[in-house]
Amino acid sequence: MVSLEVRNGFVIDPMNGVFEVKDVFVKDGRIVESLDKPEMVVDAKGKVVVAGGIDVHAHVAGGKINMGRKMRPEEMRYPRFKSDNLRSGVGRVLLTSPAIGYEYARMGYTTVVEPAMPALYSIHTHEELDSIPIVDKMALPLFGNWHFVFKFVKNDEIEKLSNFIAWVLAKTKGFGVKVVNPCGVEAWMFHGNVYSLNDTDPLFGVSPKEVITGLISAIERLKLPHSLHIHCNLLGIPGNYEVTLETIKLTRRFENSERQVMHVTHVQFNSYAGESWKDMSSGAEFVAKEVNRNNVTVDMGQVILGHATTMTADSPFQYELFKIFKTKWSNLDVELETGSGIVPVYYSPKVRVHSLMWAIGLEIGLLVDVDKVVISTDYPNGGPFYSYPYIATLLMSEKFREEEMKRIANVERYSILPSLSEERTLEDVVKMTRVNPARILGLNDRGHLGENAKADLVIYDLPPEPNPRDYESILKALSNPSLVLKDGKIVVKEGRVVKHTWGETIWVKRDYDEELIGDELEDFFNYYTVQRDNYGVPHVRREVVLC
Amino acid sequence: MKVSCPFCGNVCDDINFDGEVEREKLCPLGESKLTREKKRIPYPMVEGERVSYDEAIERAVEILLNAKRPLLYGWASTVNEAIRLGVILAEKVGGVYDTTSSVCHGPSILATIEEGLPGGTLGQAKNRADVVVFWGCNPAEAHPRHPTRYSVMVKGFLVEGRRLRKTVVVDIRKTATALLSSKFYMIKPNSDFAILTALRSIINGNDSAVPNEVGGLSKSQLREFAELLLSAKYGVIFFGMGATHTRGQDRNVEALIKLVQTLNRHTRYILQPMRGHFNVTGADAVACWEAGYGYAIDFSRGYPRFNPTEFSAVQLLRRRDCDAMLVVGSDPVAHFPFDVVRHMAKIPVIQIDPHYNLTTKVANVVIPSAISGIEAEGTVYRMDGVPVRLKKFRESEFWSDYEILKAMLERVVERKGGDVVW
Amino acid sequence: MLILRPKLSFEVHVEAEITPDLAEMDLKDVLNFEVYYGKLVKRLGDLFDVETVGEGKRVILEGDFSRVKWIGKGMKDGEIVVRGDVGQHCGAYMEGGKIIVEGNADDWLGTEMRGGEIVVKGNAGNRIGCNFWGEMEGVKGGKIIVEGDVGSYVGEKMVDGYIEVGNAGDFVGTEMKGGVIVVRGNCGYVGWDMKGGEIRVGGRFDLPPSFVEENGVWRGDVNVGGKGVIRKL
Repeated sequence: MVSLEVRNGFVIDPMNGVFEVKDVFVKDGRIVESLDKPEMVVDAKGKVVVAGGIDVHAHVAGGKINMGRKMRPEEMRYPRFKSDNLRSGVGRVLLTSPAIGYEYARMGYTTVVEPAMPALYSIHTHEELDSIPIVDKMALPLFGNWHFVFKFVKNDEIEKLSNFIAWVLAKTKGFGVKVVNPCGVEAWMFHGNVYSLNDTDPLFGVSPKEVITGLISAIERLKLPHSLHIHCNLLGIPGNYEVTLETIKLTRRFENSERQVMHVTHVQFNSYAGESWKDMSSGAEFVAKEVNRNNVTVDMGQVILGHATTMTADSPFQYELFKIFKTKWSNLDVELETGSGIVPVYYSPKVRVHSLMWAIGLEIGLLVDVDKVVISTDYPNGGPFYSYPYIATLLMSEKFREEEMKRIANVERYSILPSLSEERTLEDVVKMTRVNPARILGLNDRGHLGENAKADLVIYDLPPEPNPRDYESILKALSNPSLVLKDGKIVVKEGRVVKHTWGETIWVKRDYDEELIGDELEDFFNYYTVQRDNYGVPHVRREVVLC
Repeated sequence: MKVSCPFCGNVCDDINFDGEVEREKLCPLGESKLTREKKRIPYPMVEGERVSYDEAIERAVEILLNAKRPLLYGWASTVNEAIRLGVILAEKVGGVYDTTSSVCHGPSILATIEEGLPGGTLGQAKNRADVVVFWGCNPAEAHPRHPTRYSVMVKGFLVEGRRLRKTVVVDIRKTATALLSSKFYMIKPNSDFAILTALRSIINGNDSAVPNEVGGLSKSQLREFAELLLSAKYGVIFFGMGATHTRGQDRNVEALIKLVQTLNRHTRYILQPMRGHFNVTGADAVACWEAGYGYAIDFSRGYPRFNPTEFSAVQLLRRRDCDAMLVVGSDPVAHFPFDVVRHMAKIPVIQIDPHYNLTTKVANVVIPSAISGIEAEGTVYRMDGVPVRLKKFRESEFWSDYEILKAMLERVVERKGGDVVW
Repeated sequence: MLILRPKLSFEVHVEAEITPDLAEMDLKDVLNFEVYYGKLVKRLGDLFDVETVGEGKRVILEGDFSRVKWIGKGMKDGEIVVRGDVGQHCGAYMEGGKIIVEGNADDWLGTEMRGGEIVVKGNAGNRIGCNFWGEMEGVKGGKIIVEGDVGSYVGEKMVDGYIEVGNAGDFVGTEMKGGVIVVRGNCGYVGWDMKGGEIRVGGRFDLPPSFVEENGVWRGDVNVGGKGVIRKL
């Protein structure tokens, strides 16, 4: 099918200022102004029509999630899709690659960013991305503990650093720059960590502050579509909201009128006040204020009470978690570049700290300006991505929050959530799941339904201004879209996947001069165990290169 | 150009090729694979008769579709692209996917399921390790370039060569690797589990739980060993079949993992299985993302289920719980116990392999393939999971594993209906 | 009460989640009950003869059930009697009732069971009363009695309940947290990394070097701060 008309639906398209009943036309996978004779007409009367959802941060592919699957067969015992005409898919929170694509499509999401790709493993990350059906994908290589980066930052060689970033993006088919616990992961190779922005790594003697500002300078110089994407230092540790504030303040010397200069990811995990687990409380209010007054965006990193698997490049933090939970622990130190760790967790509604984490995420979702925050769970760290409809509903309905708070540990003294009466509208939710992610990533072909946008389109059986007290209907409708189009093709009907398609892999290309960093490359490749010729990703299934 | 060697889990990627393979960087194992020609399967065969690729594939598909529980086995000696189609084929024919892991490092995977794996890349051994332990493995003979490329003599940025590295070998006999080592512990057979647990008790300060002698080592030797381990700034423990195929099996590996967990309370340590075939790691990894588990996966209910004591090749054959078998790049007839091979002779067997081997003799359908890494390209995962590209540097009339499996899958979906999902 | 007999000699194993509930269903529904013959979905009546004999929530399995898996899976009450050998996963996830196996049982007997009783008159295989791969808890309640011998890995991560066997293979009660395991004869390593519970052994056994002797019993596992007890019967 090449052309299609969605008739009579209520279109919510905040990027184009549309909030009205309007017909939408699709031709050759794109939104068009009008159509003479659509091959198919879909009636959306009484329903809302929005763009496809975009996830800015979910660990959906690569060595970490795959090690998670390998070490947790107990996670994979849950059948979701039988083979029949499509692929089979299994998993509780950790899902197989086919199940990831199908579950995203099933809730109306059509684009996802894998936010932690070790460059040395980039072939693996892309192999898995290539096995996720339907959605479009991007991957962010990890820079925050890379010896090259340390060296360029130490010598204040921003031009070389820019060249290096461009070289890496081309080699790894990467989309942007990710930083995880800068300097802390290198310190873990020496059994340490860093505890402030001014601590230094043991090998090169550079600080997180220098690494962060150096990378931002290089990113802005390269005019990358996406800003620095940072997992802050001291993640998951009570009292860490202060380092988060300090990190955000580092953006003040940078200007960018097009987009943010820093995206602080899964900020819930970095918004803890207090000094220990015993007296931990929410620091979300402070973090939200600082985000609102700086050119910074965030995603929530919401915790979903229940099973999850933590997996981050923050290897020292993962070992700390293992000492607490004593369940299982995987670690992967990656030569010269980065590290990672994996620890299973169960967020129990009976445990105060876990309930508090749940509340802090929602505080972030309600207190940060509506055009600066994105829904996420830092999948699979905070919980399943397929809980986004649940999160959206919680943000939209105070009554739902009250009901949920009845079944969790009391957080009243430690979080202001119980006193917050804010309710996000459906239009706000469209911003937090479509408009903001597209803008944050610098992608103008999605997140909206204007002319020539990708025909990634979702119809929900909801009125444009649903009654927040009827949260059950909202949750049901958001969880089961009536129809989902990906590139103009119907992939989901009434919450069921009906077609297997392949999305694109998007990466960013910038010119670089390999000569300029030739000496460093030659030197460092003496210490890699792969040849420089063999480094990088030769091809992916379907690529789109942003130049 | 540089080519990569498709023999062992080292996957050395620095082999020079200039019209022919230069021998300078090859170990004896690599040399035999890359420069010597073994007897090839000349053409596709059904019941010993020469047929076309098309006819052989047609017959193979018929066998798999008609079987009640077909077993698709092997996969460690081909590239990820082909393995992925193999997993999807197993799903589509409602069969079982199993790899050579189930008779090799299966115990390591079971231990990983219990505890996770505290690991790192081989470059970490090269650059940082000042203590390197080889437990029940003999890289000098099984992974010949391991010591020079990654672990013993190699020069790294923090540890500049052999002099600054303590090399420890634990084995039941003085191996070639033991001769390279600065410290050798000869232990009694089947005592790995007890020794590892004793070391952990000592490091945890529970000396009193350790008897005066464990597995041939005196308590003072054990204390000295524990001190040696703790003296590392960054330690690496490599282990092999000496740990996985002696009494304790997966429990030995679990004891190794728990020892490394404990050591990380004091200093840094990582653990790495010495995996054999060049892509046994990929055969696990691809199946994990496509089907949730690495091996021993049954698709009879339309979705994957895992159970190594039920769905591994040896178990299925021993229990006569499969009625057809596809073997890709492996020789189970040579390696499986006799009672297991006996069932293979009774059921239809399909073989995809470049070379003649004992399995060819029992196979009803034989499909010759191009040699991965010589006549066909693709991605493989080194023993530490680092992806390496294998290159094609010789033309061949034979189809690649990928092409053969794709043709099979196309036919299966043609018969059964459904979307193209690969 | 029902009596089931296999109609044919099975080429590959059959998965039939037969529970005493069948005895309370209409015969038509019993015959239509879904079972798996390899990848083929079959009706119970295709593979087994079914005979109804009197009242009672009981199922008697006659003939060769050694190639039939998942007998009694998740059963809550009633009784199953196997007049011979039984295949893998017998009594897995069982919550109540009783299974009597007059012959031998295969691997995975009583996996993660919560209640009820399994009695095996012959021998049983490996992984008796264990957890599924990767799960953190094994048997939570109930009783498994094997009059003969069993293989390796008994009562892994057991939380509560009672397991009694003749001789056992290697590794009994690994990472056990509670409950009691009795090995009347000999066995290999016992109690590694146990946090709680008790293991009683009648014959020879191997003690991991992580237990401390105290008043004639061994306590540990010290490496996990365990309060488990190992004693001679």
